[in-house]
Amino acid sequence: MMRSRLTRRRPRFGGNSWLLLLILAVLGVSIWVMTPSGSNVLHRDRENLGLTLGLDLQGGISLGYEAQFPEDTPDTDKAGLMKTTADRIRKRVDAYGVTEPVVQIQGGDRIIVQLPGMTDRAQAQGLIQQTAFLEFREIETNGSSAATLKDYLDGNRTSFFNSSVSGTRVFAHAVGAGEATPSVAIVRTTDNNTLEYLDGNGNPLDPATLEDSDKAAYSWMPGVGTVDGEVMALTGGNLTKAEATVNTDQVGSSEIAVDIEFNSAGASIFDEIAVRDQPKTSPLNMCGIFLDNQPVSTPTFQTSSFGGKAQITGNFEWNAAKLLAAQLKAGQLPVELKLIYEPRTVSATLGADFTRRAFQAILVGLLVVGIFMILYYRLPGVVSATALVMYTVIVLAIYKLIPVTLTLAGIAGFIVSLGMAVDANVLIFERMKEELRAGRTMKAAIDAGFSRAWPAIRDSNITTWIACIILYWFGSSVMASSVVMGFALTLAIGVGVSMFSAIAITRTALLLFFSGTSAAKRLAWFGVESRPGVGAKDA
Amino acid sequence: MPNFASKSHLFLLIAVVVIVVGAVLAAVPGGLRLGMDFQGGLLLALVPNEGITRADVQSKLSDLGYSQAADAVQETGDGKFLIRTKDMSEEKQQELKDGLAEVGTIDPNESGYVNAAVATQTARNAAIATSVAVVLMLVYITWAFRKVPHSFRYGTAVVVALVFNLVVTMGIFSILGRLVGWEVDPMFITALLAIIGYSVNDSIVVLDRIRENKARGIGGDYDGMVNFSIQETLVRSLNTSITTVLAILAVYLIVGGSIRSFLMALFIGVVAGAYSSIFVAGQLLVMWEHGEWIKLIPGASRLQRNKA
Repeated sequence: MMRSRLTRRRPRFGGNSWLLLLILAVLGVSIWVMTPSGSNVLHRDRENLGLTLGLDLQGGISLGYEAQFPEDTPDTDKAGLMKTTADRIRKRVDAYGVTEPVVQIQGGDRIIVQLPGMTDRAQAQGLIQQTAFLEFREIETNGSSAATLKDYLDGNRTSFFNSSVSGTRVFAHAVGAGEATPSVAIVRTTDNNTLEYLDGNGNPLDPATLEDSDKAAYSWMPGVGTVDGEVMALTGGNLTKAEATVNTDQVGSSEIAVDIEFNSAGASIFDEIAVRDQPKTSPLNMCGIFLDNQPVSTPTFQTSSFGGKAQITGNFEWNAAKLLAAQLKAGQLPVELKLIYEPRTVSATLGADFTRRAFQAILVGLLVVGIFMILYYRLPGVVSATALVMYTVIVLAIYKLIPVTLTLAGIAGFIVSLGMAVDANVLIFERMKEELRAGRTMKAAIDAGFSRAWPAIRDSNITTWIACIILYWFGSSVMASSVVMGFALTLAIGVGVSMFSAIAITRTALLLFFSGTSAAKRLAWFGVESRPGVGAKDA
Repeated sequence: MPNFASKSHLFLLIAVVVIVVGAVLAAVPGGLRLGMDFQGGLLLALVPNEGITRADVQSKLSDLGYSQAADAVQETGDGKFLIRTKDMSEEKQQELKDGLAEVGTIDPNESGYVNAAVATQTARNAAIATSVAVVLMLVYITWAFRKVPHSFRYGTAVVVALVFNLVVTMGIFSILGRLVGWEVDPMFITALLAIIGYSVNDSIVVLDRIRENKARGIGGDYDGMVNFSIQETLVRSLNTSITTVLAILAVYLIVGGSIRSFLMALFIGVVAGAYSSIFVAGQLLVMWEHGEWIKLIPGASRLQRNKA
């Protein structure tokens, strides 16, 4: 019956048939985009329908930093420094394995970093902020044995034992089977030819107050070599590669390590140190790897020729090895960063299954609105409820294709646009009812309902668009940018689709199915109580 | 059908009173509580050591010199304590954290920090953006209603209704801020933005009907025409508000209390929007048409009449 009706009516509604075809095409593509499947085309194999979820929905950490430029930095250099800083942060984050991180420069001196999926803030901050100054050190000698802090104190030294190597001395125990113990003290020369002792954080320290066991810590001096006639220390700047890896020995037990590779200068210095130290007796044959003055690992030289490749072992956890590798590879940041924004993550308060419930809420919201529309507007209500479902599918498909990062605020924008889509339908149906009460034919009532509701729909939607554009522009300038921009973007898209939904979907469906059919004679199906003539009561 | 236009001065008076009361509630300190994002500060989630009570945490904070923060310590559902302080230097933050280490450990994942300068900038930019958006909306509506005499009045009516909705929401939130400590956070701002969207939509529907009826010469004199237009759009205004409230309710029941302040703001805004589209926007046009602003002062018109 349905088919015969359509074929009979096609000549009369040629334009509408094309529109119907367009709607079906848009809808078909949208459904295809949103259908989960095994194929990874358009991420259809991912969770959450492949939509990009913001930090507040999928969990993650958001951090904002302000660069602390030295006062004499010319403004012209700042942009370049910011770019380098952002690039290095990106490298570190990538090396750590965060998927789809956001590293964004804002204004002249701020950087926003978003790390989806990361949950440990302390680790995240370490990853970004730590300047990660890596040094290779060797043990300083006092005569033929290893110099210790005790030697320095007992001798009331005012200069280093090995005066040919400058730079600080770090007093630290060798890293044993367990965890590395923090450095005991750091000593540096001062302008008036004395030595100044500092603790691990760089604060002044009176070494006499230390325990005897601490005083036994070795003195580590920078590992140096000569390249092109110049004495150079071996640092993280000489690294070309750092990668976490798993070693498996013959017995099958495995150990986590970090593979490193040096550039040519680094390779030459490293071999020079190895040649010097490998033949020595323990502990002088150790190589100290220090990160920001803290011992990370103190392996023994097993060979004197590395050819630019080495491995750092030291009872690493997998995450710690990855973190170290990331820090080594990205090197130092060109400017110091100060943390200025670290919002409490929404997911911390919302709980893990929030996203699932948010999707449920949208579904139930749609259902409730649909039922209300059907109860109140009867047959057109059915059409509008169907149009709302189509509307939702199309909007979600657009969110996915752009892609729009869906945040909680973005969902709010979607709900508002859904409300406006419903409202457009309500406006049209109210107008239609008035026309039917006034005794118009079904087609005339539908046409008049649309054409008279259109100015209100157009004006309110354009006004909303104006607000969205301003908000989007403003949103890019604040730290909480994802909230405002997400809202503005989803609302703007939703409003656009809602106009399409009201004008194209609802109108075409009403005209095709009801105009000139037997349904048109049953006004009760349209929520109109009685026959023409009574409509005058409103006037 | 009720005659809305005849009582326009009364409805407007109510609106003016509500706007003034709401603005005062929001402006008086201690009312609208600005959250971390808008005034900056430090939030620490403390997992208390065995046997440590709220009073212990409070006295520790007082000892450290944070008596204000001590009064505002909040206990979460899972037994943690939320401590808020103003923005301060990194050294002082560390001092506070070190001090608190005696009563518990700080959970970094539920703590937060916003620099005061960043917060000020956020608040300022939000105010600038909202003002620019409102002015542009005013310009657009004035242009869209250009065929109606005094189209500027229509733009103004939309903006006044919008301000009414926002102020009502902020006023009620000031009361909630006092009663249950709800704060202005980015979600609340999102709710305000949503209310702007709804409210513009609501008012334009009513004004559009006035525009149309005026062009078609329906409804008699200006008052009658406005009144007739409001009556005609009444069902639509109520239906849209009801569907929206239903949707908000559904979200509230399923997602639960975690975003309750957002949903509450949205709810207040939608109800206020239904009121203002019926009792504020159109009434303002009627008052403006007659220029009888004196009627806004209760009793003043009677006095005038008596004189005459």
